[in-house]
Amino acid sequence: MDMDQPDREESGVVFNIQRYSVHDGQGIRTVVFLKGCPLRCRWCSNPESQGPHPELARNAGRCLGVEICDYCKEICANGALGLPEAGAPVVDRGICRDCMACAATCPAQAMQPYGSVRTARQVLDAVEKDSPFYSRSEGGMTLSGGEPLTQPAFALALLREAARRHVDCAMETCGHVSWTALSRACGLLRELFFDLKVMDPVKHKEQTGVDNRLITDNLRRLLTEFPRLAVRVRTPVIPGVNDSRDDIAAILDFIRPFPHVTYELLPYHRLGAQKYAFLDRDFPMGDARLDNRKFEELRNFAAGNRQAE
Amino acid sequence: MTLDCCETLSPHEQRIKDRIDGKEDRFRQSHSRAFTILDEFEASRPSIDVERALYFTQSFKETEGQPLVLRWAKALQHIAANITVYIDDHQLLAGRVGKPGRYGILYPELDGDFLDQAVAELPHRVGAPFGITADEVQIVVEEIAPYWKGKTYHEALNAALPPDIHKLTYDDPEGLISRFIVNETSSFRSSIQWVHDYEKVLTRGFGDIRHEAEARLAALDPLSPRDEVEKKPFLQAVVIIADAIVHWAQRHAALAREQALAESDPQRRKELLELAEICEWVPERPARSFQEAVQSQWFTQMFSRLEQKTGTIISNGRMDQYLYPYFKADIERGVLTEDRALELIECMWVGLAQFVDLYISPAGGAFNEGYAHWEAVTIGGQTRDGRDATNELSYLFLKSKREFPLHYPDLAARIHSRSPQRFLWEVAETIKEGSGFPKLINDEEVVPLYVSKGATFEEAYDYAVSGCSEARMPNRDTYTSGGAYVNFAAALEMTLFNGRMLKYGDRPLGLETGDPATFETWEELWEAYKRQQLLFCKAAFTQQHIVCALRARHFAQPMGSALHDLCMKHCLDLHTPQIPDGINLGYFECIGFGTVVDSLAAIKKLVFEDKKVSTTELIEALKTDFEGREPLRRLLRSAPCYGNNDPYADRIALDIDRVFVDYARKYSRELGIHNDIRYVPFTSHVPFGKVVSATPNGRKAFTPLSDGSSASHGADVNGPTAILLSNYETKNHGFRERAARLLNIKFTPKCLEGTEGTRKLVSLIRTFCDLKLWHVQFNVVNRETLLAAQREPEKYRSLIVRIAGYSAYFVDLSPDLQNDLIARTAHDTL
Repeated sequence: MDMDQPDREESGVVFNIQRYSVHDGQGIRTVVFLKGCPLRCRWCSNPESQGPHPELARNAGRCLGVEICDYCKEICANGALGLPEAGAPVVDRGICRDCMACAATCPAQAMQPYGSVRTARQVLDAVEKDSPFYSRSEGGMTLSGGEPLTQPAFALALLREAARRHVDCAMETCGHVSWTALSRACGLLRELFFDLKVMDPVKHKEQTGVDNRLITDNLRRLLTEFPRLAVRVRTPVIPGVNDSRDDIAAILDFIRPFPHVTYELLPYHRLGAQKYAFLDRDFPMGDARLDNRKFEELRNFAAGNRQAE
Repeated sequence: MTLDCCETLSPHEQRIKDRIDGKEDRFRQSHSRAFTILDEFEASRPSIDVERALYFTQSFKETEGQPLVLRWAKALQHIAANITVYIDDHQLLAGRVGKPGRYGILYPELDGDFLDQAVAELPHRVGAPFGITADEVQIVVEEIAPYWKGKTYHEALNAALPPDIHKLTYDDPEGLISRFIVNETSSFRSSIQWVHDYEKVLTRGFGDIRHEAEARLAALDPLSPRDEVEKKPFLQAVVIIADAIVHWAQRHAALAREQALAESDPQRRKELLELAEICEWVPERPARSFQEAVQSQWFTQMFSRLEQKTGTIISNGRMDQYLYPYFKADIERGVLTEDRALELIECMWVGLAQFVDLYISPAGGAFNEGYAHWEAVTIGGQTRDGRDATNELSYLFLKSKREFPLHYPDLAARIHSRSPQRFLWEVAETIKEGSGFPKLINDEEVVPLYVSKGATFEEAYDYAVSGCSEARMPNRDTYTSGGAYVNFAAALEMTLFNGRMLKYGDRPLGLETGDPATFETWEELWEAYKRQQLLFCKAAFTQQHIVCALRARHFAQPMGSALHDLCMKHCLDLHTPQIPDGINLGYFECIGFGTVVDSLAAIKKLVFEDKKVSTTELIEALKTDFEGREPLRRLLRSAPCYGNNDPYADRIALDIDRVFVDYARKYSRELGIHNDIRYVPFTSHVPFGKVVSATPNGRKAFTPLSDGSSASHGADVNGPTAILLSNYETKNHGFRERAARLLNIKFTPKCLEGTEGTRKLVSLIRTFCDLKLWHVQFNVVNRETLLAAQREPEKYRSLIVRIAGYSAYFVDLSPDLQNDLIARTAHDTL
């Protein structure tokens, strides 16, 4: 067995591999989404990314209805599928063990697994398919999530295997991860997208479930120790959470000592709302919407602020 | 970084918005002449002009028994002398071959046997209707059609096809209705797509071509019977048509002078007098200026349209190459500006746009819905010595496409490994306009392939795009016979129904390869399919063998031949089946590739491997068009599909292609041509779909098949890179028995937004070039499509939309979100 074998056979839970991704870093990229996240942001647009294990998604809109289709009628060994007289079956999430037997039988793909276990070799084989496009566009692989470093061994195996295959790597992180894993990853990346949401620790905990101490420490440290790594700090602007000038100013103050960092504001969107429904969860943000004009103002404010330095 | 909430409009959307708002097009001022001419005919219903058909028929009545090429030349001479000549208001170019507005002309030598019935129906045709006056109907019925009864090529072909080929070709004894199985296309066009050597006309003029023919006539061996019977009439025909086109041009000169006399506006009077001088000079003599070059080319291509019906319109060739010396010289002399050059070129575009390729036959109409036209203008590519050929004119043509909103001409950009970044950038910017132009043709595939088929490097480097995806070497290609369009989804249906098709009842049309319910392995089913596929190949080649021999007795093209080096050298008309030193690039067409691949993948996986479906159950479902079996249909649709870079489906596709190239390698030789596999549908995948019942990929009965080498509707869900790679993976690169593959890719404007979007499109095009794919064209679609996607999500499964932070498939979004996106788009664009 050669030295690299352990990396290739390292496995983890991946919930999506998206090819031709042109908005997540340089060039034409393939984004690998790893499952599991230490944060529980109320606005999260990828609720399926939060839990560490594969989860069953139930898309009632795709279901043909039990009056037409009986494929899943007797499939559930745990009795978690409730069959109404018409329409889509109902999942009792308390009983469901995410065994995916119903997903495997569903002809309409109304039941589908969010996530499956794959080896680093399988992931990189899929990523490498677009290699002719990477070499022309300076693209490559982007690790995303969830938080990719909640599966540190797998994430690092992916990055090392990518390096062996000369696939350029970028990563998105929420920052709430061990320094050891983060620093190892940074050594293998060309670009890092680092989310910084709120500077007030109390508010941060209230909105995301965790204190931001580890996040800010990690960011400060990596900006110091990896001065040549391209880092883009990103703040999702969330209505009622951090959509004031003061919120953004606090973040700008924090990154002021690091002029090589680029900074970007992302507008809140509701595009993940339906995925909460697929997981039989409520969308914590309800009908909240971001005022476009307000966002524009903040964006100009941030741009002006960074430029002034 | 651009943001969704403050997105900008694509130029095309801006233009639509301006128009709705009643604002003037922002390019109208700088293209005012072309806009003014366009206003006069845009959106008008085309009408039929019978003059060409009438004079052609009159002449043919007088010349019976003479050599065909001579008869054709005399007919053209008669037309040139009598057809009404026009110079349109505001036009800087003289010449059109039919009445003002949009018009189509008739070719009774093709369809005279049923022309009288057809003209009466044309105004009522749903797709592509034409107007015709009562007087003209009378001329057709009384003076034109009767002469051709019993004389047309179509009738001869119908009679010549052996019964087992006939039943796959036609649905009726007269051969008027196609079966849409092994469809012949040689009877509704005189030639396949073609490009003339326009440069020859510009540099030598028809006067010099006439001199050459006269000199050759004088040098004929007076004692040689072959010279007397074959060469002499050919050379005489060349002299006649040279005189004819010059006479036609002179009539335009006279008209220009006449109009100038009556003209009160001094500016227009000056233009008309200049035009008169130009028409007195070209196309007889070499062009002396850019305007003369454009006029000379225009006369030539319009005269070509009088000569014969070249399928989907005669192409324009490498316009940025052969016009460049005149452009450069005039710019240097200070007598031409870029704006003026653009104005002249756009005068040609609006001229092109008024000529409508009229298909009389139902099959021809179905193949080319919506007045299809491919008068390709080629730009870019390489010089004869293999260097980049891009020049200022290439960029000017792209600029015209961005600024002047017209679907004419069809613009084709040749891409090669050293295409300059600026060229690709401007190509990408033009694609982003959203009208689908230019399409891209890849030198890295075409050039080596043509060299392997016998061309020299010089000839191959100098190819011109012709029609929708062909490439022609105007002095080396010698093949003009339309090839068979073969419905391989029908071969699949026959495999599943033991040689029968539901549409055509219980009589076997194909091979009885056995009841599929008795097949125990995938291999048995594959073998049965392969036998049906080979039978269709044989039918296509047999048909072609008969077509090649017959056509030469019915068609001639003295002008096209006069412009061809090999025809002139050997004194043979271009329609001659075998011309010494010529390369015969024939093709047969695979229709329904994606449909067949996906269907076979579904059978292999679900019936034979997973055993989730029994063959009997599948066949029952297909027979009933999945009535009451929606779950099964969905299951079938979940099988691996072509277009996703999925090795499972791509392997089957490669095997299917291999059957084609193996057959072509072995049997093309018998025909003495390259009869190679091509994947280009026009719009034929629609009528072909109408005869094929439900297919195992979940496609409903009688709906369209997949088009070209594109994936089935909505089956490609892994994005554009996967589509390109599937194409690459399914070609048998070790064979030369392949021709064009047509590939469509859709984007939303948002996907390509901004400088970053252009940069990424450029890199995608570079990779397309690396992958040696023949052709690609992009649709950049917007709101209307999103609405349509909402109504018919299944057809739009692969539509990518740009939303916040990432791209997603539109139909994967909830109705709520879809409305959100549509509303946002609507807010921004309308």
